[in-house]
Amino acid sequence: MKTNLLDSIKQTKDGQLADSILRKCVHCGFCNATCPTYQILGDENEGPRGRIYLIKQVLEGAEVSNATRDHLDRCLTCRNCETTCPSGVQYASLLEIGKKHIEESTERPFKEHFVRDALLNTLPYRRRFKFFLRVGRSFSLFLPKALRSKIPAKVAKGKWSRAQHSRRMLVLDGCVQPVLSPDINSATSRVLDKLGITLVNIKKAGCCGAVSQHLNKEKDAQTMMKHNIDAWWPEIEAGAEAIVTTASGCGLMIKDYAQYLQDDPEYAEKARFISTLCKDIAEIIALEDYSALATTAPKTISWHPPCTLQHGQKVTGVVEKILIDCGYQLNPIKDAHLCCGSAGTYSILQPELSSQLGDNKIANLEKDKPEMIVTANIGCQTHLQERTKTPVKHWVHLLLDR
Amino acid sequence: MALNITPSSIVDRDISIELQQQVQSSIDLRSPLLIRGGDSKLFYGRDPVETSNILELKNHTGIINYDPTELVVTVRAGTRLLDLELLLEKNQQILSFEPPMFNQQSTIGGVVAAGISGPRRAFSGSIRDAILGVEMINGDGKIVKFGGEVMKNVAGYDMSRLMVRSMGTLGVILNLSLRVMPKPEKEISLILDATQGEGLAYCKQWRTQHLPLSATSWYRGKLYLRLSGSDITIDAALKKLSQQMSFEFLEDDIFFWQSIRNQQHAFFNKVSKPLWRLSLPINTPVMARFEGDLLLEGGGTQRWVSNNAAEKIIRAVVGRHGGYATLFNGQKHLPGVAPFPILAPELHKLQKNLKRKLDPQNIFNPGRLYRDI
Amino acid sequence: MNSEPESRNNILLALREILPEKYLLTAKEDLKPYECDGMPAYQRIPIAVALPSTIEEVQKIIRACESQRIPVVARGAGTGLSGGALPHEGGIILGLSRFNTIIDIDHENMTMRVQPGVRNLAISEAAAPYGLYYAPDPSSQIACTIGGNVAENAGGVHCLKYGLTVHNILEVKIITVEGDLVTLGSMTLDTPGYDLLALMTGSEGMLGIIVEVVVKLLPRPLATNVLMASFDAVEDAANAVAIVISKGIIPAGLEMMDNLAIKAAEDFANAGYPVDAEAILLCELDGAEEHLAEQVNIVMVALGEANASNVVMANSEQEKAQLWAGRKAAFPAVGRISPDYYCMDGTIPRKRIAEVLVEIKALSEKYGLRVANVFHAGDGNLHPLILFDAGIDGELEKAEHFGGDILELCVKMGGTITGEHGVGFEKLDQMCVQFNPDELTHFHNIKHAFDPYELLNPGKVIPTLHRCAEVGAMHVHNGELPHADIPRF
Repeated sequence: MKTNLLDSIKQTKDGQLADSILRKCVHCGFCNATCPTYQILGDENEGPRGRIYLIKQVLEGAEVSNATRDHLDRCLTCRNCETTCPSGVQYASLLEIGKKHIEESTERPFKEHFVRDALLNTLPYRRRFKFFLRVGRSFSLFLPKALRSKIPAKVAKGKWSRAQHSRRMLVLDGCVQPVLSPDINSATSRVLDKLGITLVNIKKAGCCGAVSQHLNKEKDAQTMMKHNIDAWWPEIEAGAEAIVTTASGCGLMIKDYAQYLQDDPEYAEKARFISTLCKDIAEIIALEDYSALATTAPKTISWHPPCTLQHGQKVTGVVEKILIDCGYQLNPIKDAHLCCGSAGTYSILQPELSSQLGDNKIANLEKDKPEMIVTANIGCQTHLQERTKTPVKHWVHLLLDR
Repeated sequence: MALNITPSSIVDRDISIELQQQVQSSIDLRSPLLIRGGDSKLFYGRDPVETSNILELKNHTGIINYDPTELVVTVRAGTRLLDLELLLEKNQQILSFEPPMFNQQSTIGGVVAAGISGPRRAFSGSIRDAILGVEMINGDGKIVKFGGEVMKNVAGYDMSRLMVRSMGTLGVILNLSLRVMPKPEKEISLILDATQGEGLAYCKQWRTQHLPLSATSWYRGKLYLRLSGSDITIDAALKKLSQQMSFEFLEDDIFFWQSIRNQQHAFFNKVSKPLWRLSLPINTPVMARFEGDLLLEGGGTQRWVSNNAAEKIIRAVVGRHGGYATLFNGQKHLPGVAPFPILAPELHKLQKNLKRKLDPQNIFNPGRLYRDI
Repeated sequence: MNSEPESRNNILLALREILPEKYLLTAKEDLKPYECDGMPAYQRIPIAVALPSTIEEVQKIIRACESQRIPVVARGAGTGLSGGALPHEGGIILGLSRFNTIIDIDHENMTMRVQPGVRNLAISEAAAPYGLYYAPDPSSQIACTIGGNVAENAGGVHCLKYGLTVHNILEVKIITVEGDLVTLGSMTLDTPGYDLLALMTGSEGMLGIIVEVVVKLLPRPLATNVLMASFDAVEDAANAVAIVISKGIIPAGLEMMDNLAIKAAEDFANAGYPVDAEAILLCELDGAEEHLAEQVNIVMVALGEANASNVVMANSEQEKAQLWAGRKAAFPAVGRISPDYYCMDGTIPRKRIAEVLVEIKALSEKYGLRVANVFHAGDGNLHPLILFDAGIDGELEKAEHFGGDILELCVKMGGTITGEHGVGFEKLDQMCVQFNPDELTHFHNIKHAFDPYELLNPGKVIPTLHRCAEVGAMHVHNGELPHADIPRF
C-alpha cells in the first residue's frame, strides 16, 4: 500500500518500522474475516484493515479525534489477523506504534484515566493485587455486580516439588497468576519433576511488563523487563536451561523482550538471550518423553488455545497432541481460533464486547458437554470460569490426574 | 480444425442483414413480429400474436466456430437441433441439457428462447447453465453481441442467460455459443418396481451417494434410471445399487429416454386432457392431490400431470409445496387459462419494465410470455 | 446528482431516524477506511456509511435515498478487486456486513438460506456436518461474502467443473431502488418469467440490493486428488491444459502459476512448490475412488505428453490442503515481493494461453514492470499480477496502461476483459473496447429498467458513450477511430 508518512515520523525508528509494515499490506481484507470485533460490529473501523488505515492516517498527519483512539482501544490484540494475513503484515507492532502516537495527541476523559491508572497500579504488583482481592472477597456484597463476578474463588496453593535434579529451569511466577491460581506453577513443578527437571521460582522476579506495555506505558514496562532480567541472570549463568511460562500472555511478552529492548545498550544482548530461553510449558514437555504422564482416568475435555499461544507465540497443535497422547479425548471446538474476550485488561476496559465474546466462546466450548475446560493463560481461565460451572483449569493439571 | 468437421447437411448461410432489415422496418411501422424457427413449440406459452409479419429464422444456419477441445460451439440460431447434435456426436460430445426435439425442424434458437431442458437437466444443468454468449437483434434494430465463447465472463449484464426462456420477447437471437460436454463413454439404464413414494425415497437416497446418474423417471409403479460414465464408474455404481435393491436392465433404453425427452412416451399421448408441468423443490414428497396419472422426472423436481382439475386447485397445491405449475400443452382444453404462473406484482413490474426498455415498440413476440410482456 | 451540503444534511437527518448512532458513520476519520475496497488504487469518501441489520432498515434507507436522489453503493466485505464498492462522493455506502446470519440449512433439499453478509467459507463450514459444501470458492473465500459473490458472479478454482455463482444459487431476495422486496428465482429448477436471477448475478450492485440468498449445496466429493506438475517452460504448461481437456477429463480445478508467483506463494505457505520451476500446474480431480484412479492415470499420461519435468501427487488431506494453500494466498502473498500489485482478470480461449503469455512477457519488458501469473488455466481465466510501487511517481499509471494492454489483448484473442472480478470502476475503459455503442446502450437500457435515476452504484460497469469516445481517441486500432459517430470533446 502506498504510504506518505510525515517526515517527522518517517525519520524515527518507529516511523520506519510502521512504513515498512504499512507497505506490505495490500488491503485484501482477509484479516477482517477472523477478527472478533469485526465479526460482532461489522464496521470496517473495528477490523484490522480499517485500524491499519486509521493508523496510517495518524502517521500521515491527519487530524484525529477520540473516535480513532476508541477504535484502536477496542482491538483485543489477539493477533488472529496476523495468522490469517498472507502478506505478512505485523499488525500488533503497527498497532503499538499507532496507539503510542494517538495517546500523545488525544486526551482521555477522567474516568478512563482513573480505571487505567488503577489497573496499572495494582495488577503488575503481586502484593497490592492480593490486598485488593482479599478486600474484594470480604466485601464482595458491596461491590457492583459486574465486578463481583470477576472475583474468583480462592484456590489452594498446592505443593511445590522439592526434588533436586541436575536439569534446572526457571519459571516466571508473574503478578496475577500466583494470586488467583497459585496451584498452576506448583503443579508444573511436579510435572517437570516427573520428567527429571527441577523448576525454580525466583521470588525477586515480578510482572513480565505486558500490562503496562499494552496500556501504552512503555517506560514502566521496560523497568519491569530489566528487573526480571536482573533477577534471572545469576541462575541463567549457573546453567538454567529455560524460562518456563505457564501463562501464554506472559510467555509472549518475554519472547518479545528482545524486540522491546533492542536499542538498550546495556540490556539488548541479555534480552535477546532471555527471549530465546523462554518457552511455554507445552514446548518443554513436547520435547521430553512424557509417556509417564498418561492418565488412568481419561476425561472428555474442551481445550481453549489462548490467542497469545496460538497467534502470538504460534504454538499450535502442541497441547492437543500431548493431551491426546496422555489419553484425553478432545472435543472439536467451533471457532477455536477466536479470542475469548479476556485479552489482558480488555475484560475490564471493554466489558460489553469482552462479555459477548466470552459467552460465545463458552457456548462453543460447552457444546459437547466436556467434563473440564482447559486453557493455558490465567486471564482466559478466570474469564471463562466466570461464565460456567464446568471447572476451567490450566491444562498441566491433567498431567497429574492419575 | 474447426470447419472440416461440419456435416454437409448444415448449410452455411448468414442472413443477419435481411433479418435486421425486417426487424427495423417492423420497428418503424410498429408492426408486431412473430419470430419463427422450426414451429416445434408453437403450443407452448401464450398464443403467438396474430400477424402476417413473420420473421423466419430457419434459413439462418451454420456452424460459426467449433473446436472440440475448447468445449464450445457457436452456431446460427436457425440451425436445426438435429444437425447440431449429429455434429457433436461425431466429435464424442453432447449438449448436456438434452433439450426436447418435438419435431425434426426444431432450431437451436427456439431451444434457447423456450428454455426447456430434458431428462439430463437435474443432473448436469439446464440451457441457462450452458449458454455462453448470444448475438441478437435488439429493440433498437441493432445487431449486438453479449457474452462470448469463454466459460467465465462477467463483463456487463448477463444478456445471454436472460434470453433463455424469454420466448422471443426481448429480441431475435441470431447466433449463440453453448458449452458442450464430453459424451459419456457408456450409458445403461435400470428399471425397478417402486411405488411413487419408494421411487422418491430412492432418488433422495441417491442424491448424496455420488452415483453417475444422468436421468430418473417414475411412471406407473416403475422407476427408471440412467447411469452415464466410464465402464469402471458404472460397474462400481451397479455394485452399490445392487446392495440397495433389485433391478433389471432396461432394454431399448435409448428409445425410452428419447420418448421422455421428446414426449412421445405413452403418458404424453393423451390429447384429451391438459398437460401440466409441475416444478418442485427436490425434496417434495408424494403430492396427495395428484396421485392419478403422472410421470416424474429429475428425482421428482419435475412432475407431469395430465388431468382435468381446475387451474386454481393445481396452482394452489403446487404453491403450497413451494413450486410452480405451467400449463404445458392443452390450452385448447382450458381456454383463457394463462399457461405460466402469475408473478408477484413487484416482480411482474420489473419484468414489464425490462420488456418496455428492451423492446420499446413492443414488436418481439408480444404477449407470448404474459399478456403485457 | 446533488452533493451540496444541504442535500448531505437532509439525507443524514433521514438516516438518523432509521439507524442507531453507532451504525451510521459520518465522521471523516470513520469514513476514511471505507474510501476503497480490495482495489486501493481508487479512493473516494462517501457522505456516510450506513450499517443496517434488518431488511426493513435497508428498505427505509433506500427509500430515503431514492426520494432525495442520493446514490447508494452496496458493500459486503470490501474484498472486490475492481473497485466495485468504490464510494460515490455524493452518496452513501450501504454496508451489509451485519447481515451475517445463516437463516436455515435445509440439508434434505441441499440448500442453505443465508443473509448476504455471510462469508463464502462460513457456508461450506456450516454445511460440512451434513457432508455438503458450497462449490464456488474464490481465493478470498475466507473473507468475501455471499452477497458480494452474487453481485460479482464470483468464480474460484473449482468452477471449471462446478460452475460459477450463477450456477450455484437458487434464489435471491433484493430490495429495488423503490424499496420493494422482490424474490428472484425460486426453490425449483424452473422459475416463471424472465431469468432475473441470472441478470442480477454479476450485476455489481447496479440493479438492486441483495438481502438474502439461497445457495445450492453439493455432496462433498468422495475422494479427491491433487497433482502438481512442474514445467521448465511456461508454454509447455499452457499447452498441457488443452491436452488434459482433450482427453475428455474435466478436472475439478486446473490452476497455473509462473515462477514469480510460485516463489511468493511458497514463501507464505511452505506448500512445497518447486521454486526453480518456470511454471506449475495444480490439477485437482475428484469422484468415486475407482473413477478417480482412472482419471489420475489419464492426467499423468497427458502431463507426460506435455513435457512436464516432474509430477507429484498429494498423499494426504494435509498435503492437498498445503498445495492449495499456496495458490489461495498467492495474490496477497505477492505483497511480500512487491509493495503494490495490480491484478488483471481477462479470460481467453484455452488454446491461446501460451500465445497470450508470450505477449504479456513482451509487454512486461516494454513497461519495465514485473508480472506474476496466477490463474485458472482450466477455463482460460488469467490473473496476471503487475508488480509496481505506488510510492514511485508514475508507476501506478504505467501499471494501469500495462493492464489495459493485457485486457485489450484478451479481447483480441476472442476473450473478455473480466472473467470473475467484475468491471467495477477499474475496467470501464476496457468496456469501450469490448462493446460497441449499441451494446453499451443496450446495457444502459437494462439499467434504466431497474434504476431509472441511476442511483444504485452509479458510474460503474457500463461506461457512458462520452467516456468511450474519449478513450477511443487514445486507443486507435488499425488506423480506425472507434465510435466515429459519437461527438467528441
